[in-house]
Amino acid sequence: MENVENEIRGLIAEIIEKEPSEITPEAKFFEELGVDSMMALEILTAVEKKYKIVIPEEKLTQLTTLSDTVRVAKEYLEKKAV
Amino acid sequence: MILKNKVAIVSGGTRGIGRGICLMLAQEGADVAFTYLKSVDEAASLKKEIEKSGVKALALQVDVRDFDKTKEAVENVKTTLGGLDIIVNNAGITRDKALMMMSKEDWQDVIDTNLTGTFNLSRNAIVAFLKQKSGNIVNITSVSGVIGLARQTNYASSKAGIIGFTKSLAREVSPYGIRVNAVAPGFIETDMVSDLKPEYKGQLIKNIPLERFGKVEDVTGVVKFLLSEASSFITGQVMIIDGGLSIR
Repeated sequence: MENVENEIRGLIAEIIEKEPSEITPEAKFFEELGVDSMMALEILTAVEKKYKIVIPEEKLTQLTTLSDTVRVAKEYLEKKAV
Repeated sequence: MILKNKVAIVSGGTRGIGRGICLMLAQEGADVAFTYLKSVDEAASLKKEIEKSGVKALALQVDVRDFDKTKEAVENVKTTLGGLDIIVNNAGITRDKALMMMSKEDWQDVIDTNLTGTFNLSRNAIVAFLKQKSGNIVNITSVSGVIGLARQTNYASSKAGIIGFTKSLAREVSPYGIRVNAVAPGFIETDMVSDLKPEYKGQLIKNIPLERFGKVEDVTGVVKFLLSEASSFITGQVMIIDGGLSIR
């Protein structure tokens, strides 16, 4: 589970074409990192694919920082584990 | 068959153009889900007729004005038919009146069903389309939304709105392999036209260069084209099917 943050940081960095170091836990995707809605969807899809989970599309609007994304991913990873 | 293994949803499927589109989709090999509001008997018979083509059919009693119910319907289609590839936003109503006689309800009912209904169904399916990087949307607008017709300020506004929606969405989702087009039928022989007064009908035909009302097949043929590979370089367009009514 500890690796999840780093793994997701890597996925995001690839999608938004930024250095992983720029993607701090609280950096705001839209305001600070230049993420658009389509990139946000790609992030969601990449996370789903990586962890073989399904995140409902309603959660899309909650993915605004790395820490939010990790929190949502962990929530569904835990559900999967149950 | 050009749509084998595809899954389609058609709003307002039980009558007129919607019904014709459902049957065309089935003949082309697609599994077909359709929504309807009141026509329970027609829905049951259409379901049977679709199944005669050897494809799956799903009849959904859903009011497309209701965002949440439309969302449930889309989820139902994805689960029951195993995915979703095609949306035909067809559900539409008229409340023709001179503006001076038009009530707020006449206006709102038409906008909510025709325009908001198109938003509701498209919005609830678009994320799936974006994720799968494919999808095809055909919106049924009207020649009324292109040239304007008297006594149809509500209907023409809703249909012109659908044209703007089609063009904007086509630009937005084209990088994802999704095409969005519209067809704009003129006067087609359906219940919507039979509701017109006979003297008005005669007058209308005089204004149609091809001197006849259209047939449902005149529309379904163009929808089929827009869903086929033959139109793979066409998006954001409005195909007018009106016998030339809008030329002048």
